[in-house]
Amino acid sequence: MAGTSMRYFEARGLTVNYDRVRAIADVNLAFDEGQVASLIGANGAGKSTTLRAITGLVPLAGGEVWFDGARIDQLPAPRRVEIGVAMVPEGRRVFPQMSVRDNLLMGAYARKDRGAIASDLERILVRFPRLKERLRQGAGTLSGGEQEMLVIGRALMSKPRLLLLDEPSLGLAPLVVRDIARLIIEVNRDEGMSIVLVEQNSRMALRVSQYGYVLETGRVALEGPSDNLLNDPKVKELYLGG
Amino acid sequence: MEQILVNGAILSANYALIALGITLIFGIMNVLNFAHGQMFMIGGLIVYTVCVVFKLPYAVGLLAAAVIVGLIGMLLERTLFQRVMRISSREENTMLLAVGTALLLENIALYVFGEKQRGIPPMVSGVYRLGSAFLPANRLLVFAISLALIAAVLLFVNFTRQGRAMRALAQDRTATMLMGVDVNRISMLGFGLGAALAGIAGGLLISVSGVNAGIGTAISTKAFIMIMIGGAGVIGGALLGAVALGFAEAIGYALFPGSVTYLLIFTALILFLLIRPQGIMGKPWG
Ligand SMILES: Nc1ncnc2c1ncn2[C@@H]1O[C@H](COP(=O)(O)OP(=O)(O)OP(=O)(O)O)[C@@H](O)[C@H]1O
Ligand SMILES: [Mg+2]
Repeated sequence: MAGTSMRYFEARGLTVNYDRVRAIADVNLAFDEGQVASLIGANGAGKSTTLRAITGLVPLAGGEVWFDGARIDQLPAPRRVEIGVAMVPEGRRVFPQMSVRDNLLMGAYARKDRGAIASDLERILVRFPRLKERLRQGAGTLSGGEQEMLVIGRALMSKPRLLLLDEPSLGLAPLVVRDIARLIIEVNRDEGMSIVLVEQNSRMALRVSQYGYVLETGRVALEGPSDNLLNDPKVKELYLGG
Repeated sequence: MEQILVNGAILSANYALIALGITLIFGIMNVLNFAHGQMFMIGGLIVYTVCVVFKLPYAVGLLAAAVIVGLIGMLLERTLFQRVMRISSREENTMLLAVGTALLLENIALYVFGEKQRGIPPMVSGVYRLGSAFLPANRLLVFAISLALIAAVLLFVNFTRQGRAMRALAQDRTATMLMGVDVNRISMLGFGLGAALAGIAGGLLISVSGVNAGIGTAISTKAFIMIMIGGAGVIGGALLGAVALGFAEAIGYALFPGSVTYLLIFTALILFLLIRPQGIMGKPWG
């Protein structure tokens, strides 16, 4: 791509099939370092599939993923974690029979700088005091909000440069959703971390992010600065409840 | 009475190695390893070969049993189980595959070693007295080695990075992949470790009661009984099942003629499963 300047993250023409049924087609995403980009859309629009394609959980039928100047879509999934792409999956997926501490340590599995893990654990527990109180407890016994904190903390333990969050607000009470939103803003601000936020809670996602994408049946139907999308009549009607 | 306790403890420790091995494989891969008893048997016959045929020290034999059976497990996992799990979504297929590998291993062993019961001379001689109970030094050594290995496995699984990854993989494959774990590699390691434990258990038991090429199915059956009692895929359950079976056997053999013991154990097991099908520590779901 000589001549054109490349963005920090670019997904170009992402296409994914499940058993020959197309889930997403020609999805293009691009944002700069330290940005929060949101991905909104209805059930089955292809939001999770887009994230899975970026992390390598599903194979691409077409397209490329570029991160910090390197093409990553041909790397095996574990390598992508090593170079700093972490994902918090839909439905949280803590390791329920493991302690909170072991869940967090699993997050650091792929790190090369093992000496720094202990101090990072301390640092993360300062951000999540609730987890610190429950360090020895089984993760399956935590409340939904605590589990969401745990999986975000677990992802942070990998020291990511790009954090992908799949519906962190799913099934949480409004007050807890506010905590999560504040957390995302803080992580982005304090660590300068780039974030892709997938949400059905479109209002929250567009408030937290600087740039937004609207997916419809596997394609990007609309994109733009989040403030513009928040005021877009079509977005308002379809995704923000009128 | 004291003799029963001593015998029960020694059996329990040996059985715990078997139960831990089959539990690791079941927990991580969701494969019920029908070939576990055959791996045990091969471990015993390797020790026989190294110690009796090649006249090398017992420690070498035990190490060879662990390494060779472990490698056999890894090879089976990589070439057979991983592939079948990838291309088939029905769980019974891996079960049938495991039955097939059991038959394969048994027939290879029959071909190589013949049908004869094989034993090795005790590594240490002498008998201790514990109250009214007799404790041969050789059995005490087997017991000590078993306990040390159980402790080592528990430390590994609970406190090391790879052990943690094995536990994670047993709970959520996708989430484990998202941690940057090469899940195929960890599966292979887990299968290898489970197999190695079976091999070591066989290598220990051959110095106590001998091993023959046809013993596998009986051992697998014991392994299944233990995880049925304790709860499949739960490490604590495996240990509990081993203690329950070890002592049931020791008590049974002291009180009843030989074959009655297992008749009673099976009857009790079935009644128990009617009440608690998931085992003592197992989860009723999933
Ligand atoms: N494992 C799968 N096998 C087959 N089809 C799938 C699979 N996962 C998703 N799909 C299909 O792919 C399409 C996109 O699904 P995806 O999960 O990416 O949507 P989503 O936007 O994340 O939806 P939601 O908001 O419900 O999480 C849907 O039509 C869905 O039915
Ligand atoms: Mg989704």
